[in-house]
Formats: sequence, C-alpha cells, structure tokens
Amino acid sequence: MLILTRRPGESIHLGDRIKITVLGVQGKQIKIGLEVPQDVPVYREEVYLRVLEQNRLAMEADQQDVFAAAALWQKNKTE
Amino acid sequence: MAKKQDRVIQSRIGALSVPPERVLHFPRGLIGFEQEREFTLVQIREDSPFVILQSMNDPRLGLMVADPYSFIQDYDVVVGEAERKILRIDNIRQVLVLVTVTIPPGRPQDTTLNLTGPVVINREDRVGLQVPQVDAKYPTHYRPGEPLEPAGKAQGQGGDAASGQDTQD
Repeated sequence: MLILTRRPGESIHLGDRIKITVLGVQGKQIKIGLEVPQDVPVYREEVYLRVLEQNRLAMEADQQDVFAAAALWQKNKTE
Repeated sequence: MAKKQDRVIQSRIGALSVPPERVLHFPRGLIGFEQEREFTLVQIREDSPFVILQSMNDPRLGLMVADPYSFIQDYDVVVGEAERKILRIDNIRQVLVLVTVTIPPGRPQDTTLNLTGPVVINREDRVGLQVPQVDAKYPTHYRPGEPLEPAGKAQGQGGDAASGQDTQD
C-alpha cells in the first residue's frame, strides 16, 4: 500500500480525473472530499463488501434450489 | 445490415434466445462484476417473483433476484442524483426494482432477500444500475413473510454515526 501523509486542506490526485482532499480531522473522524467523474462509483468499504458478498451468493445459488424457491412463492397478485 | 436479430446466449438455465429489446445495459456492471455490461432477465416460472439476472456473455454469471414488492409493499429505495442521471430516470413508472436473493444450499424454504443492494432498472431505456443503500434501514437477510423490522435501530442507536453523512456540493 502506498502511504502518504496529508494535512487538512491538502489533496491527492489519482491520475487526471480523481482528486481526494482531506477536509478536516475531528478526533477519530476524518472528513474526505472526493472529486470523481460520474462513471467512477464510490462506495464505503463495508457497504461495498456487503453487496459484493450478496451478489456472489445470488450467483452461487444451486440450480435445484432456485427452481424450488421459485415454486415456493407466488407473484404479488395485485400487480 | 439486416434488422437486429435475437441473440442466442448460454444462461445458467440453458441456451436462450434474447431479443434485442430484452438486453439491459449496465454502464457500471454489477458490484464485483464491473466488466459485465450486458444482462437480461430470465423468467424461472411465470407466476414467480424470482427471476435470474443473467449476463449476456458469461453463462455462469446469473444472479438470483426477486421482485421485492411481492413481499414488502413499502420498500423504499433511495436513488441519488448521480444515479438518476446514469439511469436516465425522469418518471417513476420507468423503474423496475429487483433485489438479490440468497438461498442456503439445500434449504430453499430459508431463502432471504438482500434489501441493501437493490438493482434499479429503467425499463424504457433498458439501463440498469446496482444502488447500494447507505443507511441501514433494511436488513441484508430479509425472510419473505416475516414482518420487516428496522434493522439499523436494533443494534444501538445511531450506529452509523461513525460513517458520518454524505453530502454533495
């Protein structure tokens, strides 16, 4: 991992399109400003990892279980 | 060139013929599968809320997803301004929401829905995007039929305070 030290107000550029600024430090909390192009998604790590794991599980569902689950629940009739 | 043809793909439930109007474009892919940009929805059974979100290019990449509104009437998905732009949403009627599904091996009766990482689709423009929900209002493992308990509140008030608020300017 590349480690850089910055003070509040200072920034880091990742290539031409991404800029990360340390806006402030308050106790254990660090406020970070991100200037990122619209096509680059930004996620908090815990949110990202949770969705990633869920996607993996949704993909790995056993074929027979998929059909069994599909037979267990009916579509909402009010649709 | 002749008019656009159906595409024959391999899906996790076998070969399928997909008409061009059923191909969905995911400009950011899915989380963990960023490189996959084209998906289609495959019906498992006609009367089932479960469908497969199938990659057009990778037969293995088929995610079990479900219509959340078959189970929860008032599931509320927060879609930010940037996401709206990508999805080109200007009318709520264009929007289709799906959630990923977890089935424990051999226990389909214990199927759960993940309400924290919905997939939002603009069905008119056929654009899709996974929109992780930042505030932990809904559980990761919701069991169909059970009452929906506010997940965040259960484990200590203001548990998300450490993450702070997101703002945009």
